[in-house]
Amino acid sequence: MTLLPYAHALVAREDLPIPAWLFAWGASIVLIASFFALSVAWRTPRFEDDRWRPYGAGVSRVLLGIPLQVLCGAIGVLLLGLTVYAGLKGTTAPDRNFAITFAFVTAWLGFPVLSVLLGDVFRPFNPWRAIGRAAGGVFRAAAGQEPRHLPYPEGLGRWPAAAGLVAFVWLEIVYGPSGGIAVALSPDDAAVAALVYSGYTLAMMGLFGVERWCERGEVFSVYFGMFASLGAFAAREGRFGMRKPLSAAGRWAVVPASAAVVIASLGTTVFDGAQEGGLEGPMESVGEWLTDAGLSEIAATRIADTAFILLCIGAIALVYELGVRGMASVRGAPPLDRLRSAFAHTLVPIALAYLVAHYFSLFVFQEQAQFTYLLSDPLGDGADLFGTAGSGIDFRLLSANAIWYVQVAALVVGHVIGLVLAHDRATALWGDYRQAARSQYWMLAVMVAFTCLGLYLLSVANS
Amino acid sequence: MDSKIGRVALGVVAVAAAVVLLVVLSSNDDTGSDEGTGGAASASRPAEDEKGSGGDKGDAGKPAVPTIVVRGGEPVGGIEELSYDAGEQIHFAVRSDTADELHIHGYDIERELPAGRTVVIQFPADIEGIFEAELHESDTQIAELRIEP
Repeated sequence: MTLLPYAHALVAREDLPIPAWLFAWGASIVLIASFFALSVAWRTPRFEDDRWRPYGAGVSRVLLGIPLQVLCGAIGVLLLGLTVYAGLKGTTAPDRNFAITFAFVTAWLGFPVLSVLLGDVFRPFNPWRAIGRAAGGVFRAAAGQEPRHLPYPEGLGRWPAAAGLVAFVWLEIVYGPSGGIAVALSPDDAAVAALVYSGYTLAMMGLFGVERWCERGEVFSVYFGMFASLGAFAAREGRFGMRKPLSAAGRWAVVPASAAVVIASLGTTVFDGAQEGGLEGPMESVGEWLTDAGLSEIAATRIADTAFILLCIGAIALVYELGVRGMASVRGAPPLDRLRSAFAHTLVPIALAYLVAHYFSLFVFQEQAQFTYLLSDPLGDGADLFGTAGSGIDFRLLSANAIWYVQVAALVVGHVIGLVLAHDRATALWGDYRQAARSQYWMLAVMVAFTCLGLYLLSVANS
Repeated sequence: MDSKIGRVALGVVAVAAAVVLLVVLSSNDDTGSDEGTGGAASASRPAEDEKGSGGDKGDAGKPAVPTIVVRGGEPVGGIEELSYDAGEQIHFAVRSDTADELHIHGYDIERELPAGRTVVIQFPADIEGIFEAELHESDTQIAELRIEP
């Protein structure tokens, strides 16, 4: 393959494929765990009740009080501003520019993990929400009345967020001038995209209201909020508290098209994994075929990649749909539509597992850059603000074995949690325990398929 | 699914399936990894021997050092794949017809490549993973280093 400019991208190092013996062990553990889960399964739902215990009023006053909210919002706006500024004014080398690593690694990969552990931490830092709320406050003060909004079309649900998620990953992986190399986007393109997205988001917030748009359409709020729904900590009605982990995921998925968001997340990660191995050959063939048909190399690569990213999302959707249709064939099943959204949340742990498996090493290595030379020299112009501009990434930090074990463990754990949620939901939907158990053969097949696909992609990546 | 026997049967089937899968896959692995380490130990694959016949193969008994020949800013015969086990010495040579600079990612090693001269590169393989070696002038990748644990 001919390399076009920006081939550096961020990736100075790639993961070795997981060895066949580890693939075999991973797949075996998945199968054993699955059947074990079936045989010890409980009969009444345990994760449907998302009862939540608030902490003392003092905790809520500090964590959710106005001063901290203003501070976090200001930090969010500042970081967005710095990202856009660095993207526009800084070096065009993606690996030396603050914008690329911050947007695509630190924030995009950091918030999902933080959200599971600490709750929806993106919400206070969301720069668009902060600007939107400030604008609302100014409007209230000036006009002496609440801003009026259009009613959000409920049927639209989270479709805008799902589409935005695909667009974000497309920009990250497909649009980059070297095509097919992760995070190959040039910093100024990223900055322009951030500005366009900011304009669009603020307009939508103005139309439908800040909180409504954050819940339905704002890509990052919806995406990070999805992972936050797995965790134990949450703010509700102005109080900060704790709930049983996993118990809120089902409620998150009630909004229409939530399944589309999870499927988009899974499908895009699958694409990124597959282009490093599983689908590399077919993608190059299609690319060459398009070049022969007279397209420029970059256009051909982009078109081929776009086709394959959609194919990956479609394949994930198809497997899920088959599982849903299978469940619908079990006596006493709710209608198809209801089933489709009722099991969407069971894929969230698998989506998280895919993220960890695929990006864990990139995150660990690239964060060293983020907090050393990218912090001291955000524009890549030779500045040394904190005296760390000369530091580099220590690639000895993680051995290949450590990376492999984290990857396989993430997939296995994600799989088990997915099964737990699916079984639990089935016991709630089917009054009859035997039918509930029967319906879960289908979800079991779906989950085994996704997890083994994840393991397979790791075993053929870069091989 | 209700009866105990059903559950036990299911468990037995699961374990059997897992064992079969394990045996099938690990038998593949045995042959696969033998080839892999064999290739890695000599750090040269058949294709490299044909191509890397630069003239530095004189010493009998010493394993040939793979040589990457760069002509017009492009590696002759495509991107060279070099495999090593962690702890070994990475050892290869580059000869470019134009002056250039070699950069090995991850290890962050840079070497001048004077025009027409064979430059031998040697350093310990102490970082695991896959790394690119590329020319700075043309930004062209000439080799891929794979360091296996």
